Amino acid sequence: MGFQIYRMERDRARFRDIVRGKLRKDLRKYLSTSELLGRQGKHTISIPVPQIELPRFRFGDNSGQGVGQGPGEKGDPMDGEGRDAEGHGTAGDQEGRHILEVEVELAELAEMLGDELELPNIEPRGNKQISTDGGRYTGLRTTGPNSLRHFRRTFRRALRRTIAAGEWDPEHPVVIPIRDDERYRARRTTPRPESSAVIFHMMDVSGSMGREQKDIVRIKAFWIDTWLRSQYQNIEVVYVVHDAVAKIVDHDAFFHLRESGGTKISSAYELCLKLIMEKYRPENWNIYPFHYSDGDNWSARDTERCINLLSDEILPRVNQFCYGQVKSAYGSGQFKKDIDGALSDDERVITTNVNSREEIPDSIRAFLGKGR
Amino acid sequence: MVTTTSLPPELAAQALCIEGEAKASGLDFFEVVFEMLAARDVNAVAAYGGFPVRYSSWRFGMDYERLQKGYEYGLSKIYELVINNDPTYAYLVRSNSDMEQKLVMAHVFGHADFFKQNVWFGPTERNMVDVMSRHAGRVRDYVEAFGQDEVERFLDVALSLDTLLDPYMPLRGKLQGDHPPTEKLGLSERARRSFEAVISSPLDRTDAAAPKPARLFAPPTYDIVGFLAENAPIERWQRDVLRMIRDEAYYFAPQRMTKIINEGWASFWHSRILTSGILDASEIVEFADCHSGATLAAPGQLNPYKLGIELFRHAEQSGQDIFRLRRMHNDVSFIDEVVDEEFASRNQLFVYQRNARTGRTEVADRDWGAIKEKLLSELSWGGLPRIELQSADEGEHGELLLVHKHEGRDLKLDEAGEMLLMVEKVWGRSVHLLTVDDGQGRRLTAEGGEIRAVETKTAEEACA
Repeated sequence: MGFQIYRMERDRARFRDIVRGKLRKDLRKYLSTSELLGRQGKHTISIPVPQIELPRFRFGDNSGQGVGQGPGEKGDPMDGEGRDAEGHGTAGDQEGRHILEVEVELAELAEMLGDELELPNIEPRGNKQISTDGGRYTGLRTTGPNSLRHFRRTFRRALRRTIAAGEWDPEHPVVIPIRDDERYRARRTTPRPESSAVIFHMMDVSGSMGREQKDIVRIKAFWIDTWLRSQYQNIEVVYVVHDAVAKIVDHDAFFHLRESGGTKISSAYELCLKLIMEKYRPENWNIYPFHYSDGDNWSARDTERCINLLSDEILPRVNQFCYGQVKSAYGSGQFKKDIDGALSDDERVITTNVNSREEIPDSIRAFLGKGR
Repeated sequence: MVTTTSLPPELAAQALCIEGEAKASGLDFFEVVFEMLAARDVNAVAAYGGFPVRYSSWRFGMDYERLQKGYEYGLSKIYELVINNDPTYAYLVRSNSDMEQKLVMAHVFGHADFFKQNVWFGPTERNMVDVMSRHAGRVRDYVEAFGQDEVERFLDVALSLDTLLDPYMPLRGKLQGDHPPTEKLGLSERARRSFEAVISSPLDRTDAAAPKPARLFAPPTYDIVGFLAENAPIERWQRDVLRMIRDEAYYFAPQRMTKIINEGWASFWHSRILTSGILDASEIVEFADCHSGATLAAPGQLNPYKLGIELFRHAEQSGQDIFRLRRMHNDVSFIDEVVDEEFASRNQLFVYQRNARTGRTEVADRDWGAIKEKLLSELSWGGLPRIELQSADEGEHGELLLVHKHEGRDLKLDEAGEMLLMVEKVWGRSVHLLTVDDGQGRRLTAEGGEIRAVETKTAEEACA
C-alpha cells in the first residue's frame, strides 16, 4: 500500500505549498502578533492556519435550537454550557472551522521574512574573517616531505625543462628531475567568515514597561532571532533583564518577568560588556546587542555612562548595536534622544521608536536592514 | 463472500465466522474485501473519500493532514472505513485490538448490507472504484494538457459546487424510468408508497406539488451542478470535470441522507452478532467499553450511532419489520416513522434553545411532536440548505436566479456570497440568490467578481 502514501505525500505537499503561499501573503499580520511565539521547535515552527475551506451554502446559526438528549426540566441549562448549535449531534455534516497546524522550517520562515522586509544577507565582517584550520591538500609548494611529493607535477616540470634544454631524446625517454622541479602537495587554508553569533536581548523590566510593551519586545525578539539564525550556523541568545540591576535570565523568564523599581540602563550594558569580554570574544563571535526600553533612565549621569560604555567599549566589539524604544504611558522617551544626540554619526548604532504593534515590521527592517 | 487475504490467519477465520453469523441473521451483502492497513494509511484512504485511486487535490492533502494530526494527538481515530462498491471494500486499522477488529468487522457487514439493500443506494454506481480511477486518469490527462494550476483552479470551483444537487433525483429518476434501471429494482408496492410518503412529507412539499418535467437539467431544478455541466459556456475538459464531480457527488449523496439509519443499522448488528457467541467471555467487558464509547453521547448531545441503534431497537420492540425499515428509509423518513412519544421519553430527548436573555442554552421543550419536527427539519435535504435554480433567464443576458428555500434557517451570508462567485465563474454571467436573513428578504448578486446585497420583499415570498 506504499503507493497510497506516496500519492498522498504529493497532495499533502501541494497543500503545504498553498499554506506557505498564504503565510507569505499574510506575513505582515504575523509580524505584529504574538501568534507564532512559543511554537518554535528546534528547526521548525508550527504555524496555525485556518483550514482553507471551499465555500459552501451552509446554515448560519440563527435559531440556536436543536435536539439534545439527557435529563433536565424545561428551562434547565444544558450541561457543558457554551457550545454552539454546531456541536450537537444531528446538525448535518457541518464540521465547523478547524485550525490546522502546519510545520514550516525556520529557515524558510526567515526567507519569507527576508523577502517581505527586503532584508539583505549579512556580509562577513571585513577584518573579522578568521582563517579556519583543516583545509584540504589542494595547493602546491616547492618544499615539503617526500611523502607529499606530487609526482605528476614534478614529472611535468622536469619534462618541460628537459625539452627546453634540448636534451629530450624520444628514443631514450629519460627524464631526471632536479631539485628545482620538485613540487609538493600543500594544504590550502581558505578564509571563512565566522559562523558564530551571539544575540543579546536586553530588556527594561522596570515598572513602566507594561504587558503590551513587553509583547512588542517579544515579537521583535522572535523575528530577530529567526532572521539571525538563518544567517549564522551557530547562534547563542543571551537574555538580560534589568531594572536598577541587570541579570541574565532564561527565555521564559525574559518574556514573563515583571520587575518593578528604578531603571539603571548602564547595569545592563555593563553586564553585556562583561559577557563579551569573558565569553563571547569578538575574535570568535559576531555580536548583536539589542536593548529595549521605554526610554526612561535613572539619571542623566547614568545615561552619560551608557553612552560612554557604548562608544568606548561596546561598539568597537560588536557588529551593530540596536536600541528599540517602546512607547509606554509612563516612559519619557528621553533615552533615544540622548543616544541619537551622542552617537548619531556612528553607523553601528540603530535606534527605532515603536509606538504600536503596526510599527514592528519597520523597526525590524531598520535593525536588520544594513546587512551587518 | 468475504475476502481476507491481507488479514492474519486468526482474524481471517474470525471474519468467516462473523460473516456466517451475519448471513444467518438475514443480512445480504456484496462480497466484502477486508484490507488491513496502518493507521496513517487508513487516514490517507479516508482523506481520498475512501478511494486511494482518486484524482489528486490539495484538498485531500489537507484532510489527511487533519486526520493525521488528530490521530497523532490522540484526539480522533478512524475505526472503520467501508466503501459502497461491489465488492464492498473495508479497511481495518492494524493497531486495533482483536476485539476491536471483530467489532469493526461485524459493523462492516451491517453497512455492507445497508449499501446493497437500502433503496437510496440503489441508483448509486457499484463500480465506483473503477469510475474513480478513470476520473483520476482523465484529470491527469487534463493536467498534462492544460497545466496543474489551470486544472486545479477549476477543480476547486467545481468541488465547491458539489452540494448543489437534488439528492432525491436519482431514485425519483429510477422510479419514473428516466434512467433505465441498471439492476432489478425489486421495489414492492409498499416500498413505493413509503417512498411517496417521503417525498410528500411536509418538508418536501415542493417535490410533491408537481412532479418535475421529464426534461433534465432545465430550471427549475435543484441539480444546479448538472445544469451548469450541461449548459455553462465552458471548455470541453471543464465540462467533463464538472460531470465527474457531479457523478461523485451523486454517489456520495445517499450517505449524507442516511447517516443515522446506516450507522444505527451497523451498530445494531455488530452488537447483536458479537454477543451471540463470537466474543469469548474475556472480551465482553472490552466490547462493552468499546461499544459504549462509540455510542456515547456527550451530556446533552445526540450521537447518530446511539440514536440510530435505539431507533432500531425501539422499532423491533414495537413489532416493526426492521429489515423493511432499513430497506425503505433515509434518516428523515425513518425518524418520521419510528419516533413516538415513548421513544422520545425513554431516550430523554428534548429540544434546546438558546436563551437570548441569559445567553445560555436551555432545555426548551420535551414534547415529542416538537422534538420530532426539529429533528426532521435538521436532517432534511441531507442537513444542507435547499437551493433551487429557478431561472436561467434573468436580466437581458441569461443570468441565473437561485432561491434558498428558507424553512426557518438562515444561510451564512458571507459564505453564500463566496458560493455565488463560484457559480458565476462557471456560468460566466451574473448570478442572483434570494434568501431571507433575520426575517428580512435579501437578494445577493454576484457580478463581475463582486457581491452586492439588497433588501427585497419579493425574496420573502420566493423563499417561503
